[in-house]
Amino acid sequence: MANDSRVILLGEDVARMGGDFGATMGLLAKFGPDRVRDTPLSEAAILGVANGAAFVGLRPIVEIMFSDFITECYDQLVNNSAKAHYMFEGKASAAIVVRTASGAGFRAAYHHSQNPEAWFQNIPGLTVVGPSTPYDAKGLLIAAIRDDNPVIFLEHKMLYGTTGEVPEESYTLPIGVAEVKRPGTDVTVVASLKQVHYALAAAEKLAAEEEISCEVIDLRTLIPFDQATVLASLKKTGRIVLVNEAPKTGSINSEISAVIMEEAFKDLKAPVERVNSLDVPVGFAPVIEDYVTPGPADIAKAVRKVIDN
Amino acid sequence: MDKQKLLDYYRKMVLVRRFEETMEEYAKKGYIPGFLHLGIGQEASQVGAMSAFEPGDYVLPDHRGHGVCLMVGTPTREVMAEIFGKKTGTNGGRGGSMHVADLKRGNIGNNAIQGSTMATACGLAVSAQVKKTKSITFDFLGDGTVGRGEFHESLNLAGIWKLPIVYVLVNNGYAISTRATDAHPLADLAKMGCAYNIPGVTVDGNDVEAVAAAVKEAADRARRGDGATIVELKTYRWQGHFSGDPASYRPAEELAAWKEKCPIKHLRTQLLGKKLTDEAALKAIADDVEREIQDALKFAIDSPTPTIEDALRFVYVGREVAGK
Repeated sequence: MANDSRVILLGEDVARMGGDFGATMGLLAKFGPDRVRDTPLSEAAILGVANGAAFVGLRPIVEIMFSDFITECYDQLVNNSAKAHYMFEGKASAAIVVRTASGAGFRAAYHHSQNPEAWFQNIPGLTVVGPSTPYDAKGLLIAAIRDDNPVIFLEHKMLYGTTGEVPEESYTLPIGVAEVKRPGTDVTVVASLKQVHYALAAAEKLAAEEEISCEVIDLRTLIPFDQATVLASLKKTGRIVLVNEAPKTGSINSEISAVIMEEAFKDLKAPVERVNSLDVPVGFAPVIEDYVTPGPADIAKAVRKVIDN
Repeated sequence: MDKQKLLDYYRKMVLVRRFEETMEEYAKKGYIPGFLHLGIGQEASQVGAMSAFEPGDYVLPDHRGHGVCLMVGTPTREVMAEIFGKKTGTNGGRGGSMHVADLKRGNIGNNAIQGSTMATACGLAVSAQVKKTKSITFDFLGDGTVGRGEFHESLNLAGIWKLPIVYVLVNNGYAISTRATDAHPLADLAKMGCAYNIPGVTVDGNDVEAVAAAVKEAADRARRGDGATIVELKTYRWQGHFSGDPASYRPAEELAAWKEKCPIKHLRTQLLGKKLTDEAALKAIADDVEREIQDALKFAIDSPTPTIEDALRFVYVGREVAGK
């Protein structure tokens, strides 16, 4: 915001309070009420404002407090943000970033725990990014702000407390490029957001206790996913486990799996294994939430399954 | 009374009327793909309201907004070519009748989802506040839009942020077949702004002078920084919802009565009655308009269609999409 006066910030409680998770604290004092605006509970209008402002040259960042509430502005995202560049024949676009807290683990039940990425994968024009580390969060967020396309930026609410090295200076990470977090030879494990940490934990345990070598890939950009990195790793290992926290049916894992069948069927030594939440809502009680959403044990089990196959 | 201004309104209304009649004719001949929503009968609302539009302003046309698109200053041939789905159209033939946009002249385009443009309008107005310009936004709506959540969310935002917007609420009595009076509890929809501290005024939408005066006042208010206004224009669409809709849901006598209140006829009677012009001058205007329409028609018919390569362009900025 300091580098680019076109960047504005809108959302519920983003200004005076600094956001539900404190992510925008201090920005109102620094950039003033024209550029940092608290809004009423009006998700559709928030997205519409962002679209309109972007069409005439601003670069709005909006915060949709919880990703579950994106359903309220789905029309704006799907019919306006995603299609603007096409509709205007390249003369303008919705260069917006939608920051939103996603994911389970907060014991917050059905309407505060969902992972919305799959809701957007059938919409040409949308990009969905999700970091797993503080370093990636900064680099990807700056890249998203500078990107001329509408970018939905998922912040897993269980990762807000994560610490790690973050340089002071501005830097970007490329959108659409995955990162191999841990090299391995037996199985490729593809994950994103919080599940990256679970995948790494499972990989460490499997290496130490069962001598299974997992290559763990952090997608970082969920839609569109980095086919080249995923397929290159699969070529090396011949086995793949896809991990994603959203319900299984129609998830991004479904899409990645379909691409593997089309592009890399001959590289497979075993069927693709998908690790997702069950196809049920996320309930409140810890025992229910933990059972429904995937954890390191589920990932390890899937890895053993593709090895045994 | 400014004679030149009235003659200018007359020419513009005749242009919009002839444009719409020509579109209907060529839709029936099979030249126009898809739906076509016509605004015949609503010319005074479009021409009168847009007389307050200035360069640097923004406008979001409504569902029958061809006339509004023309009033921005976009060449008639480019609007027509877009409706014909041609590469020379405002959107390269990818938007069609419903999405004619001309960003450099401030037309941000319409949206098939009624009311979605209302939130976009708030964003355009916010951009003017952030950039500290005097741009105001004209947001054309139909009566059906009043039912949408975004109508209320957007008026609420416009109210709290004092956004420089003129809501031109074209109440033509029907949302497809549903009467406005069956869909909304108020007869005068301008009063809907009351809950958001946005003043509203209801005007005869077939009287171009009355429309122009009311919208000018609202525009001045917005430019002064005093916020949004709803100007409701009571009018009527002569055609069905889309070209080809027989509109059997409304009584013939109702249509006949509104045809008597034709905005062009009304202005013509005034101009002649007050001896501000004569038949010959009006005929000259009509002939001039006809030349413009025929030129646009030839342009639209002769223009190339988009190619299949165009289908893949501009999905993303800086990212290719695979073809077949």
